[in-house]
Amino acid sequence: MESIIELKNVSKEFKILNRHEGVKGSIKDLFSRDYKIVNAVNDISMTINKGEIVGYLGPNGAGKSTTIKMMTGVLEPSSGEILCNGVIPYKKRSENAQNIGVVFGQRSQLWWSLPVVESFKILKDIYQVPDKDYNDMMELYSSIVDMENLLHKPVRQMSLGQRTLCDILAAFIHNPAVVFLDEPTIGLDVAMKAKIRELVKTLNHEKNTTVILTTHDMGDVDALCKRIVIIDKGKMLFDNDIEHLSELFGAYRTLILSLNKKGTKCDEEHMKKLSDDVLSLLSEEFSDTSAFSLSFADDKTEILIDESKTSVVKVLNAVQKKYKIYDMHLQDISTESVIRKIYEGGI
Amino acid sequence: MKLKRCLSLVRASLLDSLQFRGALILTFVGNLFYLLLIYYLWKAIYASSDSDIINGMTFSDTMIYLVFASALFNFMEMWIVWGIGRNIQSGQIVVDLLKPIEFRSFVFFSGCGEPIIKFVTTFLPTAIIVYFISGRAIPLGKNLIFFTISVALGMLINFYINFFVATICMYTQSIWGINIMKEVIVGLLSGASVPLAFFPETLRNIVMYLPFQAICNSPLQILLHNEYPVSEVLVILGIQLFWVLFLMIFTDLFFRVSVRRITVNGG
Repeated sequence: MESIIELKNVSKEFKILNRHEGVKGSIKDLFSRDYKIVNAVNDISMTINKGEIVGYLGPNGAGKSTTIKMMTGVLEPSSGEILCNGVIPYKKRSENAQNIGVVFGQRSQLWWSLPVVESFKILKDIYQVPDKDYNDMMELYSSIVDMENLLHKPVRQMSLGQRTLCDILAAFIHNPAVVFLDEPTIGLDVAMKAKIRELVKTLNHEKNTTVILTTHDMGDVDALCKRIVIIDKGKMLFDNDIEHLSELFGAYRTLILSLNKKGTKCDEEHMKKLSDDVLSLLSEEFSDTSAFSLSFADDKTEILIDESKTSVVKVLNAVQKKYKIYDMHLQDISTESVIRKIYEGGI
Repeated sequence: MKLKRCLSLVRASLLDSLQFRGALILTFVGNLFYLLLIYYLWKAIYASSDSDIINGMTFSDTMIYLVFASALFNFMEMWIVWGIGRNIQSGQIVVDLLKPIEFRSFVFFSGCGEPIIKFVTTFLPTAIIVYFISGRAIPLGKNLIFFTISVALGMLINFYINFFVATICMYTQSIWGINIMKEVIVGLLSGASVPLAFFPETLRNIVMYLPFQAICNSPLQILLHNEYPVSEVLVILGIQLFWVLFLMIFTDLFFRVSVRRITVNGG
């Protein structure tokens, strides 16, 4: 596949003044030369291919925005190389800007007091988009989202969701090769989030636009990204397909069973005995006892299964030989819980 | 095609300014109060003087000069410093830096709307009213053409000075103090609040070597003195052109160096 963005050993350091507390400290700071170096981004390398949607994740302050600002050319890396579309972004910021679109969820590039259609027209002129391409794009937009009642509304009267939607449309207007979405769904309701995901997905599909998405909403990631990159404290922790993410902690799934007839008294003692019984049953059946662990919640028995060692069906089969299963439920480890584990330092 | 970009930005900023008609009316009224104030101030100055002519200017000369100066300065000012300062503080500047146009040009053309509107709503009416009230004391002739060129150059000089001050904000992260200082210096040394003829000789000589007088004093001298020979007018324009070129190169270099150390606040 054709690569579009390349980062090679990119680092970014900031020099920050060590601040002191209080009025006295602040006055002292005026003359202080006591700086500390903060490594916002530390030796990151990756290659992003054309047409990919990459989720760029990390806890607050991990260095995500800094990386994006370096890829867009606003910041110059302290060391390392970046190539975006064959251009070094910070050296040719304006040239690079022609090939990219950027949405910052907390900022807007639209003209505040003008109807949004005016902003689109201005952007069309700024990016020198030919009339035909512009009209085609508008047609595509109106086939995806209902824009008619939005187009003539001044941006300042829009809700956050409507504004974000328009900002995303504005970022795609010149059909850029890469679009950076920095927390596009921040503060939006579920319906608007779904709309925006659909929009990004369709535009990526139709125009083969590369999308780099930072977000804290795992719903965005599950809906859009095939590949995710996770960084924390400026260091890269993970760069792979999303399917591989759950394997990071072994391929675990939880099998939740109700083994009690309705109306049975399920106090703690009873449940504890039941799960001990199930455990001994499973231990007889399987030689490798590390493949599962048992717990219970209310009247349900939960079996955490490591699928690299045994399969859910085998466990289910073993249990139903002795017990009647009244209800069952299989739970995948969610992206969210994996990511949380990573952020909390489980890796 | 490049021109279309710029025109589009100017158009946007025109539309933008027109949204705030209340602000336009208030500026106009505010300027009237200012004129009333300087009228009585200078009347008192002339009343306390022994002669009718101070520093070679009669009361009506001074008034005509000051009314024009305030009208001119009013429409020349683009107020970009507060805007850029605020954008640097909030980090919003990223959005403008990521436009495929050089940042300085983007700011200039996006700021053009207000001067254009103010030129029509404030400067032109003031000029016409003064022309008739003063008994046609303003000469009409080739000086109008030179005046127009001179105003354009003056606007550019003022813009570059503002852009320079705004760039300083990248280092200080605060714009208030510097901009107040700039406004006082430019207001005084450009001849917008007091005619340069009233300055002490030494100060006036120094001021003539600074770029500020080329903002307001130069165009007004050209407008009010049709008797100047063309060669003298060309010298004034030449000095203005020198400052435009000097500041253009200087602010460009300064911005290039400064933008590298930008931290971009927030997120």
